[in-house]
This record gives sequence, C-alpha cells and structure tokens, in this order.
Amino acid sequence: MPDKFDEISKLLRLKRFEQPPPEYFENFLSEFHRRQRAELLREPLWRIALERIGAFFGEQNASRFGYGMATALVLVCATLASMNILNTPSGGDVETSGRVAVATPSVDASIFQNAQSPQQQTASLNLNNLNARPQIWLPDLNEISRAATAHSTAVASSSRPRYVMDARPVSYEPAWSF
Amino acid sequence: MELALPSLPLANLLGASAQTITVSEAAAAPAPVNEDVELVARTQAGDASAFDTLVVKYSPRLYGLVYNMTSNHEDTNDLLQDIFAKAYRSISGFRGKSSFYTWMHTIAVNMTINFLKKRGRRFHMSLDDIDANVQNDKEFIELTSSSSSNPVREADLSELQQRLNEAMMKLSPEHRAVVTMFDIQGMPHAEISKILGISEGTVRSRLFYAHRQLQNYLEEFRKK
Repeated sequence: MPDKFDEISKLLRLKRFEQPPPEYFENFLSEFHRRQRAELLREPLWRIALERIGAFFGEQNASRFGYGMATALVLVCATLASMNILNTPSGGDVETSGRVAVATPSVDASIFQNAQSPQQQTASLNLNNLNARPQIWLPDLNEISRAATAHSTAVASSSRPRYVMDARPVSYEPAWSF
Repeated sequence: MELALPSLPLANLLGASAQTITVSEAAAAPAPVNEDVELVARTQAGDASAFDTLVVKYSPRLYGLVYNMTSNHEDTNDLLQDIFAKAYRSISGFRGKSSFYTWMHTIAVNMTINFLKKRGRRFHMSLDDIDANVQNDKEFIELTSSSSSNPVREADLSELQQRLNEAMMKLSPEHRAVVTMFDIQGMPHAEISKILGISEGTVRSRLFYAHRQLQNYLEEFRKK
C-alpha cells in the first residue's frame, strides 16, 4: 500500500474508539429477548405455522422443487376428491316418480323413441302428444341441476337431445326390468 | 494499550471475570472456532441459552462493523437486533462450511448494505462518544504530535470524528464495508473476501479506490 495511504489508515483506526455507553451491551441481550417476544406476539398464526413448516422441510434437505410438487399434489388430490363428490349420482326420489322434466319440448318425438329402452316407452309420458301439447312439470330443481351437470358432456357430444325421467338420467335406468 | 470491556452478567454466570484485551487483538483475532461449534450445535439442538452466549460474544464486534458503516447509533441498534434475529431464524440451516464468525459477519454486512441502499442519502449522523482511552493510542499520539506540518495537531477530536464520518459516508456501501473491516476492525484480506464473497484482488482494488477517495476528502489531514 502506498505510504500516502498510511495516514488515512491511521485516522480510520481511531474510529474503533467510538463506543456506545458502557451499559449498552449489558442491556442488549434483554432488549433482544424483549423484541423477539414482541415479534412473536405480532406475527399471525398462519405465518408462524408456515415458518415452522419451512424450517421442517429445510431440515429434511427437501429441495424447493420437491416442496412445490408436494403442494401441487395435495391440491390436485383435493380437486379430484371434490369433483368425485359432486359427480356422485343421488338416489331416485320415489315421490317424484311419474314427473318428467322435458329438456326440449319442441323436438320430434320419434327421436326420443329411438333413445329409450322398451320400458321407457310404456312410461306415463305420452310422447305422441309431445309436440302437440308440451307439458312441463317442475320437480326438485336441485336434482335437475345435479343431473344436468353429470350429463352435460354427454349432451354436448350427442347429436340427440337427452331428457331425464324421474329426475334421474336415462342411462342410469337398469337394462333389465321385471 | 488495553481496552477494558464492561463486566457482563452472563459472563459472571459463566465464571468469567471482566476481561481486558488489547485493541489490536480485539479487532484482528477471530473467535475460537471450537467454542463456536459447540454453541451452534447446542443452539440447533434447541438450547436458546447457547445462542444468548453467541449474542453476548459477537454483539460488540458486530456493533463496530454496523456502526462504522451507518454512522448512526439508533440505526445500528435496530440493525443489530434484526441481524441476530435473522441469525437465530437461519441457524438451523448453518452447515459449518464456513466458521460461525464468517457466517455472522456475512449476514451483518449484507443486511447493513441493503439498509444503506434503502436509506439512500436521507440520513443523519448520530455518533457515539470517543472512548477516553484514545488519548493513549500510539497512532493518535503520532497524529497529534508537535510536528509543524501536521494539521491534526490543531484539530479538535470531535471535529476529527465528524470529518472522518462525513468522508466515510461519501463512499458507496460496498467500499465502506471493506474500509470498515480492513482499516477499522483490522481484518485480513482473506477474511474480508470470504465474508463478501469476492476475490482478494477485488478486496484490494476496492480498498485502493476507497483510500484514494478518502484522501481527497481529508486532504487537510495529510502530511505535506
């Protein structure tokens, strides 16, 4: 180092004599504890839990990628579980038997005849009168919406209109009957 | 010369008496490694009192580092609390690849530099008093000797302190850090390079540049 900088270094070394009051370091530790307690009380519970979880995974040497994958997996499983619950068909409501919700009253009845099983053709609904005098009953709307959700994709893909008898999808009718 | 440290309650509990160390030893020597290794291991195992020991041990030294970078006692106090809080939260991830001394100083320097960059030019100096032992310092005696060409002879000590701090504040945070660690705290280039994560060559070049800047600012204190 050039000699001309020696003076600067000497002057700078004098700065180590700038000291806080003697009791400062004696009280520093207690002040540190006090601040830690105050910070802990201020932090919301979810953040404390998140820090603990992060520290746990950090101790396990889990990579960030693995942590994110695990979180994504939990979310996917939760989504699938909720979709399964929504797609579970409800049992037919006996009290609503004989009541029909007609989706497309203006459609030619012959189309429905092809889509029905034999026993459906002997249902109380008189399809021949469908176009002449369409009649609409309104059963439990919740059941209709559940059935509509369950078969929305089938309706979209099918060229034939579908309808529901007894608030239950036709495809759920058993193939056999006595 | 010797610098008397205040007697600390925890030091008494540990059976240690008030210590006297030379200024050069306090500034230059890193802490014993084995003691730190044991204290860190106990802290990681859940012994909070072990971390308290580390706080008491490193707070004077880290105070000097942060204070000479900020030139403000209140900011230094707040920063020091945050530094130890962060160290406590992060200590479970400390793997011992470097010494605890280096690790703590890295945290302290990085947090102080980030603070200074956020603070920008909006600051005021809040200086600590100069310890009375400075009168016995060899370098201070040389500087204030009866040399006719030495302007420091005439300067008031507080004015000298003021000028030095003003000059330091004109440096960038990164240059101030190397000057603080090398010139004020007496760390070797190798240790500074580990703490800052830069090469020794970069440390030397930053020191050279900072000294040149300080020399320009403090021209009246240079010998003719």
